[in-house]
Amino acid sequence: MSIVEHDPADWDDFDAAAKRPIEQHIRNSFIKTYKPVLDDAEYRSFDTMEEYRQWCKDNLPDWLGYSRT
Amino acid sequence: MAVFEFKNAQELGRVCQLHGVKYLFFGKSGAILLGFSDTTQDVDLYVEKQVANCAKLVDALVELGFRLTEEEQREIRRGKDFIQLRNGPFDLDLIFAPDGIERFDDAWQRRVEKHGFPVANIDDIVGSKQAANRQKDKESLPRLLSFREWLKRNQ
Repeated sequence: MSIVEHDPADWDDFDAAAKRPIEQHIRNSFIKTYKPVLDDAEYRSFDTMEEYRQWCKDNLPDWLGYSRT
Repeated sequence: MAVFEFKNAQELGRVCQLHGVKYLFFGKSGAILLGFSDTTQDVDLYVEKQVANCAKLVDALVELGFRLTEEEQREIRRGKDFIQLRNGPFDLDLIFAPDGIERFDDAWQRRVEKHGFPVANIDDIVGSKQAANRQKDKESLPRLLSFREWLKRNQ
């Protein structure tokens, strides 16, 4: 996407966000909703990113969007 | 699990500095610290994958309140590429080898200090999402690219 293709509404959002205190900006930005499977373990580790990507592909629901396109 | 707040960022920054952990806020959470207005659920940290740094990271995580077993601490010290933590004050993903970035030192040189935190350059955040090429990245990239242009105009 080039500079002329941006959605002006996006830039209005960014201008507005820049005027908010950082505390409020963070509060608006971080949310918590349950993600099945992903949130069902307290700890996971992967030796390689490829191993992690494969685990996501094999275990997570497609609609979560973690699979490569 | 509490939602990440600015006070958590401050505490994370303080403890990592105290222990000398070399890291960068990364991913969408990094972009948010740069001013991006969007939502995310977890904090992504890009951490230098050196033995000494990983040991410092373990100490910092424990001090921050992440409940790590001895085995988990050993794993982090040993070095992994990706670790997902849901056992602490906020959701945290530790990334040691993000897609699209060859060396931590390169990203470190390009970093931005924002609100007192080390944050990856927006070009690295965008580049990594482009390289990861997941559905969720594909959906969020147009707005992130728009933000990058806005940021370059407003820096």
